[in-house]
Amino acid sequence: MFQYKYFSICLILMLAFTGCKEKKSSSSKGVRNSDVELVDIEYAKGFTISKNSQYTSIDVLGPWPNSEESFKYVLIPKGANAPQIDYDALIEVPIDKIVVTSTTHIPALEALNEIDKLVGFPDTKYVSSEAARKRIDNGEIIELGMNESINTEILIDMKPDVVVGFSINSQNKTYDAIQRSGISVAYNGDWAEETPLGKAEWIKFFAPFFGKEKLADSIFNSIEKEYQRVKDIAKKSKSRPTVFSGAMFKDVWYMPTGESWAGQFLKDANANYLWKETKGTGSLALNFESVLEKAKNADIWLGSSQFTSYAELDDSNPHYSLFDAYKNKNIYTFSLTKGATGGILYYELAPNRPDVVLKDIIHILHPELLPNHKLFFFKPLE
Amino acid sequence: MKSAKAYRISFFILVFILILCLLANISMGSVSIPVKAIFSSLINGEVEKESWKYIILNYRIPKALTAILVGSGLSVSGLLMQTLFRNPLAGPFVLGISSGASLGVAILIMGTSVFGTVFSMSLISSTGIAVAASLGSFLVLMAVLIVASKVRDTMALLIIGLMFGSITTAIVSVLAYFSNTEKLQQYIFWSFGSLGNLSWNQLLIFSIISVLGIGLSILSLKNLNSLLLGENYARSLGMNLKKSRFTIIIATSILAGSVTAFAGPIAFIGLAVPHLTKQIFITNNHKVLVPAVILYGAILMLICDTIAQLPHSEYSLPINAITSIIGAPVVIWLLVRKKKMVF
Amino acid sequence: MVVSQEKENGVLIKYFIIKKNLQHSVLKVKDLSVGYSVRGKDLIIAKDINFSLQPGELIGIVGANGVGKSTLLRTLAKIQPKLNGEIEINGKNILKYKPLELASELSLVLTEKIPSKNITVIELIALGRQPYTNWIGALNKNDIRKIKEAIALVNLQELENKKCYELSDGQLQKVMISRALAQDTSLIILDEPTTHLDIYHKAYILKILKKIAFETGKTILFSSHEIDLAIQLCDKMLVMSKNKTTFGDPCSLIEEGKFNELFPKDLIEFDTKTGSFRVNQ
Repeated sequence: MFQYKYFSICLILMLAFTGCKEKKSSSSKGVRNSDVELVDIEYAKGFTISKNSQYTSIDVLGPWPNSEESFKYVLIPKGANAPQIDYDALIEVPIDKIVVTSTTHIPALEALNEIDKLVGFPDTKYVSSEAARKRIDNGEIIELGMNESINTEILIDMKPDVVVGFSINSQNKTYDAIQRSGISVAYNGDWAEETPLGKAEWIKFFAPFFGKEKLADSIFNSIEKEYQRVKDIAKKSKSRPTVFSGAMFKDVWYMPTGESWAGQFLKDANANYLWKETKGTGSLALNFESVLEKAKNADIWLGSSQFTSYAELDDSNPHYSLFDAYKNKNIYTFSLTKGATGGILYYELAPNRPDVVLKDIIHILHPELLPNHKLFFFKPLE
Repeated sequence: MKSAKAYRISFFILVFILILCLLANISMGSVSIPVKAIFSSLINGEVEKESWKYIILNYRIPKALTAILVGSGLSVSGLLMQTLFRNPLAGPFVLGISSGASLGVAILIMGTSVFGTVFSMSLISSTGIAVAASLGSFLVLMAVLIVASKVRDTMALLIIGLMFGSITTAIVSVLAYFSNTEKLQQYIFWSFGSLGNLSWNQLLIFSIISVLGIGLSILSLKNLNSLLLGENYARSLGMNLKKSRFTIIIATSILAGSVTAFAGPIAFIGLAVPHLTKQIFITNNHKVLVPAVILYGAILMLICDTIAQLPHSEYSLPINAITSIIGAPVVIWLLVRKKKMVF
Repeated sequence: MVVSQEKENGVLIKYFIIKKNLQHSVLKVKDLSVGYSVRGKDLIIAKDINFSLQPGELIGIVGANGVGKSTLLRTLAKIQPKLNGEIEINGKNILKYKPLELASELSLVLTEKIPSKNITVIELIALGRQPYTNWIGALNKNDIRKIKEAIALVNLQELENKKCYELSDGQLQKVMISRALAQDTSLIILDEPTTHLDIYHKAYILKILKKIAFETGKTILFSSHEIDLAIQLCDKMLVMSKNKTTFGDPCSLIEEGKFNELFPKDLIEFDTKTGSFRVNQ
């Protein structure tokens, strides 16, 4: 599940502190055919798509952080002959049945109008998308079990055309078993992507399966345009409020790094993020006293982790009340926007809609800039 | 008899070191606070920055006191278990007390995703966790005591304790398997252990419980010494074996259970400090050992915490990692240097 | 000070009376059967045991391996329950003793190894005073005097500050005996105190036991495989063979040929003249 990824990232980073490694984005130089057309992927570093007259090739270069492996998925029209090249999976498109494994995959399907092709999902309980929810309630999306251990029997019985999986590293027995049973598995690395627009661009990964490349391009282009537009607006702001984020588990404060996905939003929203200089892609495990020293007078506390009310903060740790942001009631959380079953929408939808996230943040930091925007993900603490 | 008197100088030195460590622990942390500010905070005087005073009075001092309680509580309970089970590998958690606490916490945190939302999110406050951990270890303790009243052989009791431990661990892993990731994450963070999360009120409760546990241990001193000769001799000396075993088990559970409830499952200290003390003091006389392990445990925990805070850096390390990294080499070095293990 | 003086006088008077009054039996065993109770069924190892021990006597229990010497001693020490019969210590049924009361009447030296040797000799011997000390085990002047006496009786003065793990087997056995002495009981029971010792130390230990019984008026009951030594030193002996247990003084037991019944005769034979066993050539 998506959340599991976050947990893993967090753990990996806590152990290694900073897992900062630039990922080389290599264009697929292997393809030499003259009729090859390289699909334009601007922000995402984890995959490339190339096309020729016979097939479309999706090359996933970064299915998980620091991956040494890459995967080639070849998509051919129904009934066509398989091309004489090496590939990890051969899929006839357009597909009729798809299984995805992370809630972050669902909004892409919904945006492409292909949610009716989704037939199975592991742990459907926290899916928030209304369209998907409806299909789950109607029994059209079948529960596939828990977390990483997908129920292989049900899956084989279901015979999907492709399973879009994700893995936190190269060890993944479940997917190996699925592949052995003859079902194609395609790894999606959206979660390993490090930039807001990079994550959102993974909608282009789904498009070729349905032949909807044009729609995906236009959806992404409008998100990108909107993102750049509000980013430029934010740049003009004269004020740069000081911001901090995260919360404590016991006495350790987990704070996103300046380079992280969350950190980049703050940068693009023209915030003075107090930890903006920090490297790495995940969270810092900080000592409470250093956070207090640095952020005591900060203006805004954005993203108070699982806490949704001041009472909960008090209950968990009296230290929180020392921050000015607490005293001035300037704490915002994404945990209050929930789907019908209580899943936090931010986890599911935010990677796909960086424009909305950025607008939320700009609206909070610079209320004068986007006066008509209504907060979607972030809400003030109760 | 020489016993306590002969060790008077050693104890004096230990208390002195303890005070030094306490001061060092309070004065070192992520934020550099001048010594002057520390002292004026301590006497409640004026401090340049309000946040400094808050850090000293409401964060570092409770944390240091927690370290002392955790260190001494675990060391004493480890010693009690090693003597009761005549086994140098025994520690405070051999009776499944920490697994019981883990079970309580796991049910509280992760049970929501399995049993539905019976517990509201706000229940998962630090107090809620402490209560759940206490309940969990108490239930396991009750089970162990019921078994203890039926079993004559103490070694069987040890194995039964281990079995209880694996049952609860198994239930925890089933819960973990079915729970969602945020919950699992919360649970994992709890299991890392931490010292710096207690408010003054919680600290007061913790101290009262610890004093109770240490009091029971002191009441057991005489019987612990009898047990040095083995159970048959101890009985021939007029010791009521069942009653003493109960007292010792309850003292251990109170100490180890409260530590786990308030600070999470802290590894290693309970096993290592009794050995460390026996290597240095070279005696198994509990009238010397109990106060000695209290002091050593407190000192070691303070040192570990000071290191875990990585003074002058923003980061801090999980206390559990430090206790083992610092403690294990010390014990190995002592054992190698002495060539011979005295137990 | 006055109190302890009185106590001391009291103790002396007690010994005086004990030595005079030989009718008084320290340990009296009547129709005793010992063994184990397995699922409600009695598994009798030795039965029809009858004897009575007087103050100041040294009594040896001899018999082949597995004949029930240890079981008998463990039963007498109330470590395991008896199956039938009666045991009286100083005229009182053993079942009526509370643990602490029994501890001031009966002390033990067992074959089992002590689990912790990381204490000094004197600390270990001082543990013998546990039945008399207060809740925390503090020693008063009387306790310390008893400990010193116990050390002196077994000549341990030079070892008293050594750690127990530094001692040889023989030295450790002396320490355990000294500990039992410090417990200051009218009856001391020792289970095979001479095993693992060389012949010199075997004799030495038994000699010390003899001396203690004589000097302190304590009754000392021990089991042993050193039949020849026991014959020479014991006041009375309990000979346990498979079907029968006989009690008496060594000379009459020899005359009655009881020692001949101890072992199968194919390998060794008891020589009544020397009071020892001889291998058949």
